Amino acid sequence: MANTETALKEALASIEGATGAALVDYTSGMALGTLGGSKSFDLNVAAAGNTDVVRAKLRTMEHLGLKGEIEDILITLSDAYHLIRLITGRGGNGLFLYLVLDSKRANLAMARHQLKKIEADLEV
Amino acid sequence: MTVVDTPPPRLPVRQTQTPAEPGVSPAAGPGVSPMLHRLAAERATGVLLREHGTLYLSDGQVTHAESAETPGLDVLLATGGALDAESWREAIARAGARRQVGRFLVDSGRVAEGALELCHVAALFDAAYFVLGPSGAPARFRYGAAHWLGPVRPVPVAALERESLRRRELLHRIWPAPATDTAPLIRADRAAEPPVPSRQEAVLDQVNGVRTAADISLALGRPAFHTLVDLRRLAAAGIVTTAAPQSLRAPQAPGAAGPAAADAAPEPPPPHHDPVSALLTQPSADPDVALLRRLRDALEAL
Repeated sequence: MANTETALKEALASIEGATGAALVDYTSGMALGTLGGSKSFDLNVAAAGNTDVVRAKLRTMEHLGLKGEIEDILITLSDAYHLIRLITGRGGNGLFLYLVLDSKRANLAMARHQLKKIEADLEV
Repeated sequence: MTVVDTPPPRLPVRQTQTPAEPGVSPAAGPGVSPMLHRLAAERATGVLLREHGTLYLSDGQVTHAESAETPGLDVLLATGGALDAESWREAIARAGARRQVGRFLVDSGRVAEGALELCHVAALFDAAYFVLGPSGAPARFRYGAAHWLGPVRPVPVAALERESLRRRELLHRIWPAPATDTAPLIRADRAAEPPVPSRQEAVLDQVNGVRTAADISLALGRPAFHTLVDLRRLAAAGIVTTAAPQSLRAPQAPGAAGPAAADAAPEPPPPHHDPVSALLTQPSADPDVALLRRLRDALEAL
């Protein structure tokens, strides 16, 4: 059991290579909490912008008639990974966790696994 | 074809020019509410009563917000399956007098802290969007009042204002006509509807010619602003439009007025719309017109 702040802190502390994390409502584009980031990387802007990514994928799946749910979305940059994990639990419908990883330090499989665990902690 | 203006979002200034009570200066500065600014600066505790709802402040930070136009925290918790109505009532009965309902819910294991916090912050920003919206009535502040929920996660006034303004701009960017925010809604043309995501589908299923955005939010147990966003997207896609305006009074039978007609103040006859022709002249009822408007808006934005 965790609140937003501790969940984000845990994400940054326990996931190797994580440089920023945010919990985002993808209908309004509001970041319910952010941690990390920098002057050159505004997590609030990233949060609002990535709602369009999630929405576009959901819409495409609707057009294709796919019934599955999105678990996570990975965006690979030349020097970073951006990981989006949709939250499905109680009270969390319509939210996603957004994680920025330094690709030189991060272990992607491990990061996905830990993010899943943090989501579970947040919503139990 | 009707030419439609696309007005920018209304500025959040109060219309009245006369201060309604001593010490309240109307529209004194920039921002959403000058009074709220002042209260934040003096780290006030109490409740701010505005036309569309209330904001509870503690030490200059916003702890709770309520508006008649948005579902409350209990509704959001129930929708997510986090808490049933019975447990909510019990918590209020046992901890309401101490103003510790939030704490009680978590400590007694009824609600996970994360779920309470997320639903609370969602309800707070949702209600605050409407509370801080344009208002024609003066605001009042009652010092010392505190909400029975107790503190969950206070929000700085500046963050609340910034988010409310961002939300206003977001709605305008999606679809600049605000009519779907408040009017009864109808589906434009079922035959030509493209598939929509399931969250919008749920909103669409509630559209019946009578319900407004606020009704739909309550029926679905979702934040009202989210419904406004979904409806503007549906309006932009030409799927939803406002219902034809209906005259407020039933038309009188001819001859029934008699001598009473002489007493009635002279007024122009209400514009009569039969639903079909009104639908045809509604600009967004026609998907092609909606598309042209989007094209024009996009070109103007270049």
